[in-house]
Parts: sequence; structure tokens; C-alpha cells
Amino acid sequence: MMSVLLLAVALALYLLTTATFVAQAVTGHEAMRRAAQSLLACAFVAHAAALAARAGLMGYEAIATFHDELSFIACIMVGIYLLLSLRTNLTVVGALVTPLAFLFSLSAYAFHTPTPELAPRLQSIWLPAHVAPAFLGYAVFAVTFCLSLIYLLQEKQLKQKGKGDLFRRLPSLETLDNLNYRFVSWGFALFTVGIITGSLLAKETWGELWSWEPVQVWSVITWLLYAMLLHARSVGWRGRKAAALTIVGFVVLVVSFLSVNLVFPGKHGGTFG
Amino acid sequence: MEREILIVGVNHRTAPVEVREQVAFNDGLLDGALRQLRTLPAVEEGAILSTCNRVEVIAATIDGDTAVEVLTDFLAAGEQVSRERLREHLSVYRGREAVRHLFRVAASLDSMVVGEPQILGQLKDFYTRAATVGSAGTVLHRCFHKSFSVAKRVRTETGVASKAVSVSSAAVELACKIFDRLEDKTAMLIGAGTMSELAARHLVAHGIRGMIVTNRTFDRAVELARDFQGTPVPFEGFQRYLQMADIVIGSTAAEEFILSPKLVRDVLRERKYRPMFLIDMSVPRNFDPGINDLDNVYLYDIDDLGGVAEVNRDERGREAEKADAIVEEEIDAFWKWLGSLDAVPTIVALRDKVEGIRKAELVKTLASLRDLSADERNALEAMTTAIVNKILHAPITHLKEHDRQREAFYLAAARQLFDIEEPEDR
Repeated sequence: MMSVLLLAVALALYLLTTATFVAQAVTGHEAMRRAAQSLLACAFVAHAAALAARAGLMGYEAIATFHDELSFIACIMVGIYLLLSLRTNLTVVGALVTPLAFLFSLSAYAFHTPTPELAPRLQSIWLPAHVAPAFLGYAVFAVTFCLSLIYLLQEKQLKQKGKGDLFRRLPSLETLDNLNYRFVSWGFALFTVGIITGSLLAKETWGELWSWEPVQVWSVITWLLYAMLLHARSVGWRGRKAAALTIVGFVVLVVSFLSVNLVFPGKHGGTFG
Repeated sequence: MEREILIVGVNHRTAPVEVREQVAFNDGLLDGALRQLRTLPAVEEGAILSTCNRVEVIAATIDGDTAVEVLTDFLAAGEQVSRERLREHLSVYRGREAVRHLFRVAASLDSMVVGEPQILGQLKDFYTRAATVGSAGTVLHRCFHKSFSVAKRVRTETGVASKAVSVSSAAVELACKIFDRLEDKTAMLIGAGTMSELAARHLVAHGIRGMIVTNRTFDRAVELARDFQGTPVPFEGFQRYLQMADIVIGSTAAEEFILSPKLVRDVLRERKYRPMFLIDMSVPRNFDPGINDLDNVYLYDIDDLGGVAEVNRDERGREAEKADAIVEEEIDAFWKWLGSLDAVPTIVALRDKVEGIRKAELVKTLASLRDLSADERNALEAMTTAIVNKILHAPITHLKEHDRQREAFYLAAARQLFDIEEPEDR
């Protein structure tokens, strides 16, 4: 149970990093920021190791349970942030991504299932081709959610005429908006690939490309929502409205993800039953 | 009744910009207002200071209570603001407080951005206007000149001015929180003013790509544009160019809004809702505050920028304390002089001075004329006293002048002519 242990370490580190980010936000110390970044990097390594240990143990099955999905998304989210923070100083994004990753990992920890039975028919090349882009997409959307929250916060600060000092510690609106746009585009592309490869996988396992499974219905709803957002952006829907819609998109995504896994598993279900 | 200086008005500490702009004195009306000020009861001397941060009347009076009432009416007269609304925001400084206030204003200690250098020049201009019209007299001449020397001392002896973080840097700081970078942004300057030019200069220094300049006087626009390596455009139809501007700085003397929410909404549509930062540097304001309710537009007026700059105020706290100590010293000196500007002590001092001379000279003379009789001595005594009294008669009559403004003038003159000045106040 090496992976569980590593996950627990990652969890503890996420919590510690969150606390450090909060302390940094309050004090504004540069040293705190560096400490938080290093802690988060350690957490990421531990988390990635946990995932690797599990994959080594189970192969394909390692991404087939609800537990693993959550854990995977959380880890990628953190990875994206760490990559991003190499280029721009977006400490405050880390301050949101980390607790979110913590929450996801904690749920993963709670829903931990020892060794799932993976139906032999699922052991197809399409499974990773479906799961990897879909989850990457989820993780990217989670980051856009954080970016949008910060956008709204900063927008509010600036509309309120910079009362207080908070606006100085947040990135500029344009930076946030541009990043958000870029990430939503990437997330959308990944999500689209995930749906297509998912259909191909369905064709192989269930015999038909599209069978109106709950997961498919939800995916289409979410896909349409993001498609709308991207279209709206191209005609000038930027800033506050775009950020709000990004948040709505992510909430729908989470709802669909949870309902597919917990409420209406259908054929897809938590373990690709 | 004692002679005193008082200041009645509104400033950025006590009144919001809406109130300040309503009592502000338009440049063209200033001389008339100063002339009117002279005719007010209980007001012997007066000057008006009307900048974007303050509208204050400085007066010398011997009946402070009446003068405060009269000046409140004077400020409320003819404007849209009611006396009650004005009262809520009115600040009244009397006596030493008033002197302290004027000195602190001159030294830029009371500025929205402490240490900003423009205020002293403005104060000098307003004083010159009052002196030219004749509403400022002996007391205010002295008080203003003293305030200029206080400002000079504060500038040279403390770090208040050098550490000034201006409203302009606050504007740049905000721009950097709205925009990713300024290198691909264009600013537009509508009208000209010290603060707005300073802000434009800051933006240029931070690498803004383009600058569009417009002014009612096109020559001025051309001149400014040359300065900023920008493009001058005619004031008529400047709205056409707004969609190119990411940052718009307004500082015209327009009495009504030159940008409305509707206009800005149209401009935004043309810009595909790329964000805009509007900076309103003028009082009365140029941009309708309702614009701030639009998405992707951030409107700041000069008060808002002051609020942003305020955060940096603590750093300058210590230098400001030093400056305040200088102000206190100078108040003492001025106060002593002002206190002496009263008929009774001046007449007493004058009599004492001349009587002292008479006595000293008489003693010298009598010492060499030993064989004079008592009668002869008395005659000499009476004659010298008569000479002194006759000479002093006219000056003392003038010192008891009923026109208090002229009285102050004579008192100050007498003290100087007869060398009865407070020595430390020369």
C-alpha cells in the first residue's frame, strides 16, 4: 500500500502548502512564497509517485476507479500550476489550486478502492487514449476555474477603486483573462479528443458509438457550454462575464463528474463496469 | 475683539469631490469673487484658494464668529449646493489652527499626495490674484509670505517632497493591474493640466506605446504631442479616437461631462470589449461616474487615485513629523507678530519708545546745563513733551483708524518705521 502512504504524504503537504499560501497572502513575505512553491513541488512529487506506484501495481486499472480519477486530476492540476508559475508570478493561483487539489485528493483518499476488477473488454488501446485527454481536460478546466475566481476578485478590487492593498498582490486582469482564454481553449481541445476517443472506446466495448449514456449526455452538455464560452469570447465576451461563465462551466463539469460516478453510474460508472 | 485669521472651506479630507466641484471658483469668476469678498461684513482681508483638492477662503477678521457665517454663505451663494449640505462638509480653521492649516497647505503637508510640488505654485498664483485685486492686506501678505518660506524650509530641511509618491504613480500602478503590459497600449490625453501631464509622463516612462493628445486649443495639443511624441487630434470629434485608447486621461475645464456611459458603451463595442482605464483628473469631473458600472471599464477620479496613493503614506510619516515641527516654530513667530498688530500695545510701545528717547536726551542736556533754575527745567520738560506729543498725534490717530484693514497696515508700518518690531520676527 505504498501508493496510499504516498498519497497521505501528498495530502499533508497540500495542507501545509495551503497554510503557507494563506500566510503569504496575509504577510506578503517573499520567503513565504518561495516556501509554498517548494512545498507544493514536494507534494507534487509525492503525489506523482503515488500514482506511479498504483499504476505499477495495476496497469490500466490505475486510472479506472473514481479514486484514481480524482487523484489523477488533482495531481495534473498541481503540475499545470507549477509549470505556469515557472513563467509568471501567479502565487495567488497556487493559493487556490492547492486547496482544490487537496480537496480532490482527500476525496480520492476517502473513496479509495483496493483493486478494481477491470472488465477484460476494456483492456483496449482506446482506454488510455480516452482517459488521458479527458482528465487532462478536467485538470485544465479546474485551473481555469481558479483563474476565473481570481479574475472576479481582482475585478471587484479595481471596481471598488483599490480600497485596501489586495489588488497589489493579484495579477493583472489582462494576464488572468488571457491565460484563462488560452487554458479554456486547451481544455476544450483535450475534452473534445476525450469525447471522440471515448466514443471509439464505446464502439469497441459496447458496440455502438453513441448510446445516450448519462456520461455521454453530461459530456455533451459540458462540451456545448464550453463551446458557447469560446464562441462568446471570439465575439467580445471577455472579462467578468467570461470568467463567470468559466466558473459555471466548471461547476457543471463537477456535477456531471460526480453524478456519473456516484448517482447514475450507467454502464460507464465508477469502474467502467 | 481680537484680530484673527480664519479659513473656511472644503478640502479633500472633509468633502467629497461632488461637493468640492460645486463650490469651486471658476478662473474667470475669481476676481469678481475676490472683490465681493472685500465688501463682506466682518471680513477685512480675504483670499481664495480653489484647486481640485480644496476650495478655501482665507480671511483676516476681528469678528471671527460673524466672519465664519458670512463666509459660509459666500461659499454656498449662487451654487447648486445647499447651505446644509455644505455645512456637513465644511471645515473651519480659526486662530493658530488657521495659520497652521495655511502653512501645511503651502508645504504640501495637507495635499492628497503629501509632498507633491504643484500646490505651492498654485498658492502663489492665488495669493497674487488676491494681492492684485486688493483683497489681501497687511495680515494676509505677511501670512502668505510666511507660508512660502515655511514651504521652502520644509522642502529643503525634510524629505517630504523627495519621497512624494504622486497620484500619477498610483495611476500607473493601477494601469499595470488592469493591463498585462503597457508596451502595446495607447493612452489618450484630453485637455491639459499639471496632474494629467504628469500622469502622461509617467505612462510614457513606463513604456506606453502611443499617445493621442487633444485640446480645445489645437496648438496646445500639438505642443503636448511633440512633448510626448504622440499624435495631436482636434478636440471636435475627439470621440472618434477613443476606441484606440486603452487609457484615457481627462482634465478639461468643461463644466459638464464630456464622456457619458452611453458613449463609452459604444466605444467598448467597437473595441470588442477590450478593457479601458479612464482617469478623471479634473474638478468638476469630466467623466460621468456612471461609466464605472460598465463591464471592462475602470474609472478613477482624483480622489480614488489619492486613496490608492494613501497606502504609501506611512513611509513618509516621520519626515512629515519633522515638517510639522517646522510649521509649529513658524506659527509661533507669526503669532507673536499678529498679536502685536493691535492698536493699544502698539501705541503704548510707540509712546514708550519715543518717551524713552525724549527722557534720555533730556537727561543728557540737563547734565551739561547745571545752573538752570527749577522753572527753566520744567519749561524744557514741558517743551520736549509737547514736541513728542505733537509729532505722535497724527500717527496715533491713524493707528486708531476705524477701517480695520487700514489699521493693520498702519500698525505694521508704525512698528517698522519706529523700529518696534518683534526682533525675532524680522
